[in-house]
Amino acid sequence: MKFSISIYISALALLLLSCDDRNTATLAPDYLYDAGNQAVIKSIINNKKGTISMLYGNDLALQTAHDSLLKPNDGAHYTMVTWKQKPMPHWYGTNMNGEIYSIEHLKVVQRNDTQLAFDYEFQAGKGYQPGDDQPEKEQRIKLITSQRAAVFP
Amino acid sequence: MKKPGLTFYKSAAVVLTLIFVGLQISSPDIENPPVTSEISVPAEVKQILERACYDCHSNEVKVEWFDKIAPASFLVAHDVKEGRSRFNFSEWDKNPPSVQELLLWEMVNAIEQEKMPLKLYQVAHTGGKVSASELAVLKQYVNKLPGRHKIDTARIVAKNASHQQIAPSKTPVALNGIPYSADYKNWKIISITDKFDGGSMRVVYGNDMMVKAIKDHQLPFPDGARVVKVVWGKQAEDKDGNVLPGNFQNAQFMIKDSKKYSKTEGWGFARFDGLDLKPAGKTVLFEQTCTNCHRMFAPQSDFVFNIPTK
Repeated sequence: MKFSISIYISALALLLLSCDDRNTATLAPDYLYDAGNQAVIKSIINNKKGTISMLYGNDLALQTAHDSLLKPNDGAHYTMVTWKQKPMPHWYGTNMNGEIYSIEHLKVVQRNDTQLAFDYEFQAGKGYQPGDDQPEKEQRIKLITSQRAAVFP
Repeated sequence: MKKPGLTFYKSAAVVLTLIFVGLQISSPDIENPPVTSEISVPAEVKQILERACYDCHSNEVKVEWFDKIAPASFLVAHDVKEGRSRFNFSEWDKNPPSVQELLLWEMVNAIEQEKMPLKLYQVAHTGGKVSASELAVLKQYVNKLPGRHKIDTARIVAKNASHQQIAPSKTPVALNGIPYSADYKNWKIISITDKFDGGSMRVVYGNDMMVKAIKDHQLPFPDGARVVKVVWGKQAEDKDGNVLPGNFQNAQFMIKDSKKYSKTEGWGFARFDGLDLKPAGKTVLFEQTCTNCHRMFAPQSDFVFNIPTK
């Protein structure tokens, strides 16, 4: 009798434990990107490419992004970080950033008295596959410099 | 030791019978108030909801004979009360359309994560299960709701002078006392999301403590950790597939203080709507809405959605 009661109690304990769904998530700090002193200009979703990006900029880049004519500023620095999208764990109906796909740096420099030039650099992230096409430089410069800052309080 | 005699068993039986009878007398009745505005969904969706959800989430609760016997009746009464308080298919129009859609997405998730229907309910009511093919029907349905492909076509409203400088005396404060603060703009980004219901895109900031905790793989998060989620509408996709943020919708705050906010899983919740940053909710009960969903779906990540996880 005592034996069967103890079996019953341990079975109950096991059942309760199995109902405890607080098995802990594995945090992924390698998905974080530290943009240093640069601030948020805006996020960009691309479902055709399955990516999600964050465009950051320094003060001069932000100034351009708030300017109605988007006039480029000498000394503006931009960083576009792109992640592969993945479904959010434990919630059907949201995609979020996963592995870092690429990091693009863009600097606006004064080439001579009248002309501004763009220094563009592409870095592949962990999510970038060797066979993937590198984005076309001129298109990316245009995309990055033509973004207005997202409006938020 | 002397074995208990027959009189012991007899009196025990009498006491138990009295308790049982007493419970039956105080046993609660499940009443069905009138159906005022029933949810309107396609027949194939309706029949799943009726079978698996209506026994707690409607005013058309069908009580089986065994549900009426105490102590089961107390459990049933509790579940029906709780179920109707979360959402009631018979009083569906009490929720604004955007909330209705969010609730439907939550239902799909509750079923997929096997949180609903309740396990005990499924054991007692054989019809209470939702099969994989039925879940697929529900998923297909929510993906056709208007919010799924909602595009923010309105001209983007810029901050005007009154938005730009919020005087300290005018700092918006949530009903639970959490004030708005723009500090988060100096924090790091911890995630970026594309949420399907209601058509929004979000950027999630974490303060230094939050970022450090993620780097140190520290769960649960320490007191002092803060998260702010900034939410925008989505503009139409351009020819290259880019979707850009539209108008600002709201900013959502989570502040970890395991003692102060022990009733809401250790987190203080607040939401500020529109560029005027109007605190969300009519009463302090607004935080229950936040907690209920975070408690059900994110216990494995200390009740925070949108953190970077493998």
